[in-house]
Formats: sequence, structure tokens, C-alpha cells
Amino acid sequence: MSDLTISIQNLSKTYPAPFKRLRTFFRRPVKEPVEALCDVSFDVHTGEIFGLIGRNGAGKTTLTKIVATLVQPTTGSVKVRGHDSVKQDEHVRREIGLATAEERSFYWRLTSEQNLLFFARLHGLADRSARQRIKDLFARLELDEVARRRFGELSTGNKQRLAVARSMLASPPVLLLDEPTRSLDPLAAARMREMIRSLAQQDPPVTILFTSHNLAEVETLCARVAIISRGTIRAIDTPRQLRDLTSESELVHVTAAGANGMFKTSFTRQHNDNTLDETIRKLQNQGARIIDIETERATLLDVLERYEATDEQH
Amino acid sequence: MNSIRLLPRRIFAFVARDFRLFVSYRMQFFLRIVSVLAVVTTLFFISKIFAGFTDPQFSQWRDPLATWLTGLAVLNYFMTGFSSLANSIRQEQMQGTLESVLLTPINLPTVIVASSAWDFLETTFFSFLYLFFGRIFFGVQFRGSFFLAFLFLLLTTVVLSCLGILSASFAMVFKRGDPFGVFIGAGSALFSGVFFPTQLLKTYAGPKLGSISLILPTTHGLDGIRQVLIEGHGFAQVTQPLIVLLGFLVVLLPFSLWVFGRAVRRAKREGSLIQY
Repeated sequence: MSDLTISIQNLSKTYPAPFKRLRTFFRRPVKEPVEALCDVSFDVHTGEIFGLIGRNGAGKTTLTKIVATLVQPTTGSVKVRGHDSVKQDEHVRREIGLATAEERSFYWRLTSEQNLLFFARLHGLADRSARQRIKDLFARLELDEVARRRFGELSTGNKQRLAVARSMLASPPVLLLDEPTRSLDPLAAARMREMIRSLAQQDPPVTILFTSHNLAEVETLCARVAIISRGTIRAIDTPRQLRDLTSESELVHVTAAGANGMFKTSFTRQHNDNTLDETIRKLQNQGARIIDIETERATLLDVLERYEATDEQH
Repeated sequence: MNSIRLLPRRIFAFVARDFRLFVSYRMQFFLRIVSVLAVVTTLFFISKIFAGFTDPQFSQWRDPLATWLTGLAVLNYFMTGFSSLANSIRQEQMQGTLESVLLTPINLPTVIVASSAWDFLETTFFSFLYLFFGRIFFGVQFRGSFFLAFLFLLLTTVVLSCLGILSASFAMVFKRGDPFGVFIGAGSALFSGVFFPTQLLKTYAGPKLGSISLILPTTHGLDGIRQVLIEGHGFAQVTQPLIVLLGFLVVLLPFSLWVFGRAVRRAKREGSLIQY
């Protein structure tokens, strides 16, 4: 089997002006078509956690919805494990689970368990296996205590975890996670990240398309990241390579203790040069003891800002 | 093939969900039963005004209470056939749950059919209540073949479901302001002979307005059911409304499915499937 799980080729999406002919006929103002995606191409490999970052309205949601078969592309194609998202949409939906932060996607008067049971049945799970799967997911996502509580009574964090549990109901090989830690407390968010990581490492591995505005999280979790801006993919690489695109240098602060007390020295170095080694050796030769070393590298935020600034200039 | 095999499970999923939501509003359930009883009782007393005065040319109206109850019960059912398909889409759109339902490996026609299954069960219960209360408390008698009456009920419901599919298509594209709802919903009660014989329309409103009743499937469905249950007619005597209903079906079924397919494609292209 191919190593490719998601293959996106020359994908463009333009939302047409609604009722253009009708509005023209009645001489009403016609809205302009909205170009949400323009010639997007990339592949996601099996077991990869692939990050998608960009500003609000950059095209992340449209891209995710096209992969999830909810929206049809204008041109180009999306294949999930070899199935076309338009021609074989039901096949694709069998392969994916989508978790969004949208609270309204559940039935508020049903309990957490009843909600998941309904969706499990739609996935075609038999009742016994559905109940067992729900029990396992509740244990894994620490939702046991709220299993019999109505969805409307859950905290925002628990609603978010329930959305992730729902996306995993049919054990899909592909997960589309849209800000899965947005409303979680720091501990719960760390556990969620750990679970996401373990899903990608399990056998068989789960492939994850991950969108988040928490760039530190994206940097920690994702093997590769795509930067999307105004519907166009601006760069795709590992987080480290993307940072290096912005700046190949980093600022280093070394704190040391000498005969006259503590002192701090700062310098700029290129990645992989030997400035740091030389500085440490020099300080140690002077009899100083190294207390702390801090580095200031370019972050994904710097990278994002750089592309946004370029776009604004154009 | 797999979708067909899983269809009963999926319909059950929707029915179980809607039952749970239904019982979470228990008071509403009891109030509806009380309101049906109140309507039947009111109609009983109104029918007493006409006792012995019914025009003999209106053979179905000798016992107005039986005719009204049949009309209300059946109209209730017909309207479910017509409105539940569009309502199911509109309700899921408004709740925000349509997207999550459509993310499961289930196609849109299945969602529409399965999510209206509970409406039919509920309506069957409340329609039966009209007839049951009439029989138990007010001695209303029904005769004729219940199987034949059921055939009419089924056929008319399917015909109205075709109009319901058109209405659902409209809901998908325009979201609100469904013209079929206005025409069928308001028109059926006035022009189908639910509360008075359709012949009176011609007499008092003229032949043009009176003939509106002929283009409504509910008129023919109701006429057929009343001929069977009230006049005791057999199959040979009810072929005329039966043929008319079959004619509606032959025209409306392929047309509504064609329109529906186009509406789904348009909504997916515009990305407006989940908007309301």
C-alpha cells in the first residue's frame, strides 16, 4: 500500500456569487465570488501529524471541509487513501473523523453517551460494539464522569473532548483535528497532545491533519507544517526548516559565575557553527562556571508574520 | 449495497435519537393528547347542530363527526409526508448538527428519509388518537376494508413525500420561504374537503376556484379513504381516485428526485449545505 494517505492536487475553491442570475434579473447588487483556495497541492503520509497554520479566513476550514467531503472543490482533487473526495465521498467519510470546536454539532438534550451512540449507529457500528467503543473512548479521554450528563450541561473543555471522542468512534485511519485543545486546561491539553502523538505512533498508525492557532503546540506535535495565507500554500516543511527560512541565526544568552559573581554574555550564532562551543570553552578557561544557556530562535509566529507582511505588500 | 444493508440500523438510530428527544419534553406529549381529545369533543358538539340536516347529495357527510375525524387524522398524516422531509433538513441545519451527521458515511437522501421516520411514527399515533377517541367516547363507526384505506393512505403519503422532496430541495437552496408549504399546507385544509364537501366550493366560489381541489393530491386521497371507511366502498368503486393518485406519482417521483439531485449538487458547490 502507498505511503500516501491524503493527496491534494491543484485544489482550488471559489464560492460562487449566490443567485447571481436571479439577482441580475431583478437588478439587485451581485456579490463577488470568493476565492477561498488557489492551486493547493500537498501530500500527507501515513502516520504523519501534518499541521496547517494560517490566519482566520486563510482557507484552513475550507480545505478541511473539502477533505471531509462537505464542500466540493471548484478544480483539483483530494484523495484519501486512494478514494476521491467527490466521486467516492462515502468511502472517504468511512476513512476520516473530524473534530471541530463547534459546540452546536451535538444534541444538547441528549447525554454524552446517547450522542455518541447515535453517531456510532450512523457509522454502522452494532450496538454492543458501539457501547464498548464509547466506554473505551470515555476512559481514554477522561469523560467517564460525564457519560450520563446532558451535553448542554458539560463544560466547554468536556464538550471539546467529546468532539474528539466522536471523531474516533469508527477508529478511522485519518483524523482531521481543528483546534482540539482550544478550550482545555493546560493539563488536559498536555494529555490531549500526548494522545494525539500516541495515535500517530500506534499500529496501524493514524494520519492526522491538525489545525491550530497555538503555534507552540503545532511545533511540538507536527512532523511537517503548511503555512496557508489567502488561500495559497506559502510553505511546507518541518517546523525547524520553516524557522530557518526566516532566520538562520539565533541569539544566545549564556549566564556564568566567575570570581566576581554572576555575569551574562550574549551573542548571535548561525545554526551548526561552533561559536557556542568556543564561547563556553573560553569562559571555562577563565575559571567561570556555566549556570544557564538560553537561545532565542525564530518561531513559527515569525515565519507566519513574514508571509503575511509579504502578502500585504502585494 | 452496504448502505442498503445498514439502512435499518441508521433509521433506528434516528428513531431512537428522536424518541429520546421527544421524552425529554414529557409535558408536551401529554398536552398534545389532551388537545386531540378537546378537538374531538368540540367537533362532536358541532356535529350535533347538523344532526338530521345533512344534504343527502353529500353521501360521505351523513355523520359529519366521522367525516371530520377521518379528514383530520388523514390530513395530519399527509402533511407529515409532505413537510417532514424538508423539516428534517431545516431542523438539523438550524441546530447545527447537519454537518456532523453528514460526516458519517451516510448519504443525504438516507439522512432525509431516516430523520423523518420518527415524525411518521408520532403522526401515526396522534392520527390514530382522533379515530380512537371518536370510536371510544362518541361511538363513531367506521366500515369497509381497512387494508384498502391503508393503501390510499400510503399512496397519498408517497405522492406528498414527492412534493416534500421538492420542498426539501427548496430548503437546501433558499433555506426559507418554501412556496410548496404555503400551497399544500394552507391549500389542503381549504380545498381538499377536510371540513366541508369540495362540491360546495364550486357552488359558492365558482368553477375556477372550485377546480383547485382537483389538482391537490390530498383531495383524491381523502376522497378515497372516506369512500372506503365511511361509505364502505370496495376496490372497484374507488379506482378513479386511485388512478389519479398513481398519475401524480408517475409525474412527481422522477421530477422531484431530479430536482433534489440538482439542489444537493448546488448546495455542495456553494458550500451552503449546513447554512440556514
